[in-house]
Amino acid sequence: MNSLVKIAARGFSVFFSGNLALRSITLEIHRNAILGIIGPSGSGKTSFLRAINRLNDLHPDSHIEGVLQLDGEDIYHPRFDPVALRKRVGMVFALPIPLPLSIYENVVYGPRLGGHPPPRAELDELVEHSLRAAFLWDEVKDRLHTSGLRLSGGQQQRLCLARVLAMQAEVILLDEPCSGLDPISTAKIEEALTALKSQHTIVLVTNNTKQAARVADKTAFFLMGELVEHGPTRQIFTVPNDKRTNDYVTGRFG
Amino acid sequence: MRIPPRSTQVIAVGLLGGATLLTVAVLVFIIVFVLDKGLPVVTWSFLTSDPEDMGRAGGIFPIIIGTLLLPLLSLAIALPLGVGTAVYLCEYTRETRMTRVIRFGTDCLAGIPSIIFGLFGLVFFVGMLHMGWSLLSGGLTLAIMILPTIIRTSEEALRAVPQAYREVSCSMGATRWETVRKVVLPNALPGIVTGVMLGAGRCISETAAVIFTAGTVASMPTSAFDSVRTMAVHFYILAREGISNENAYGTAAVLILAVLLLNLTAYWMMHAFIRRRAR
Repeated sequence: MNSLVKIAARGFSVFFSGNLALRSITLEIHRNAILGIIGPSGSGKTSFLRAINRLNDLHPDSHIEGVLQLDGEDIYHPRFDPVALRKRVGMVFALPIPLPLSIYENVVYGPRLGGHPPPRAELDELVEHSLRAAFLWDEVKDRLHTSGLRLSGGQQQRLCLARVLAMQAEVILLDEPCSGLDPISTAKIEEALTALKSQHTIVLVTNNTKQAARVADKTAFFLMGELVEHGPTRQIFTVPNDKRTNDYVTGRFG
Repeated sequence: MRIPPRSTQVIAVGLLGGATLLTVAVLVFIIVFVLDKGLPVVTWSFLTSDPEDMGRAGGIFPIIIGTLLLPLLSLAIALPLGVGTAVYLCEYTRETRMTRVIRFGTDCLAGIPSIIFGLFGLVFFVGMLHMGWSLLSGGLTLAIMILPTIIRTSEEALRAVPQAYREVSCSMGATRWETVRKVVLPNALPGIVTGVMLGAGRCISETAAVIFTAGTVASMPTSAFDSVRTMAVHFYILAREGISNENAYGTAAVLILAVLLLNLTAYWMMHAFIRRRAR
């Protein structure tokens, strides 16, 4: 097992109601790096992302083929507990969805799960640390006990990031986290991600190819459920091997 | 002949507004009528003394207690069962033929006249299980009667909780039960409370099923196996047997005020809850 590899997919396919959403993906995701996944809508980016924390399991009729490993362990093995998996693999969704709780309660939601909540002082510290890392602390430190729904969209999305950071997850999945945000909020999220990769493995699905070019160390291009090409971001954006990749990153379609 | 849109607009507003006005007017008239006839009878001693001479004289104290105990007992039984069933159907099962059959069954049960439940309670609880005409028989019968309402309203309330909340909670490593307890139930609570209030209202206003199962004894119950009389039943008996129209109206006035108070309390509690969560 290569210790550089955090997540490995081998011949990994996803089906919804019998329809193929993702065809035989083989891809290695390195630890402490940002993998950008680009591709047009319906290319299977999100299906792949939601396979990594087994959120596709919520779909009433989904199944997979092939192997998906986290630290060399098959996460779809029948003995592998998906709840434990999701504590290690956090996710930020496309739309900011704070739970209808206070800012504080949102951040400590993850750490409080499972029956052994940390003491209050530890939680307080965790809240400050996570909100600082998500570049939100200064804006909300005086109103931690007001509803998370009162924040602006950009602030809500950073709250969602802070919520994942408080889980102390090893992997952070982001599903087009900036699609509804203004450029300033987007810049703050990107800044946070760049700072976070020293401690986390980050997979960033984005509709915005420029965002991948800005923050991703490696980039993968998905098209119609297939992985067309992946490699160092610079290579994908300057000298891609596949004509379709070139057409997409230069804006000829998509 | 074509009517110009301007006129149809005026006609529509007139008809719809008229319907609303008529509905409200009828309601207000009934309440004012009952209170006008009943309130003069309602004194402190009417509320706190036992009935005398079959209700011709005296008060309605044990009947107020019966009216409190019977719905409380049936809610204590129906609430956990009903909400539990709704949570199971909504959160733990996938939509299958089985869940559709269960849902169809509860819908049918909700439409059955209460006297059928009363008859069942009479045969099963009062007779077969030897509970007699008692608080317990009545409570169990009314619980069965309001279960479908509580299940269906709770289910609607649970379905109205955005799916995204469940996904977020699940994605953070919550088990299904943690998601239900921490996210789904608190958000569904206002809707569930509405269902419970509907159920409580049906229990309070029920007569037929209560007479069949809880009996009509108008004295203070000392155990769950004693018969009780509720205000609705008392009102029915006083008016039906021509015992005392004055006291019947007095009881009705107390009943109306009690239901009003109940609804106001529930409304206030719900708003306090929502405010506390959405600060």
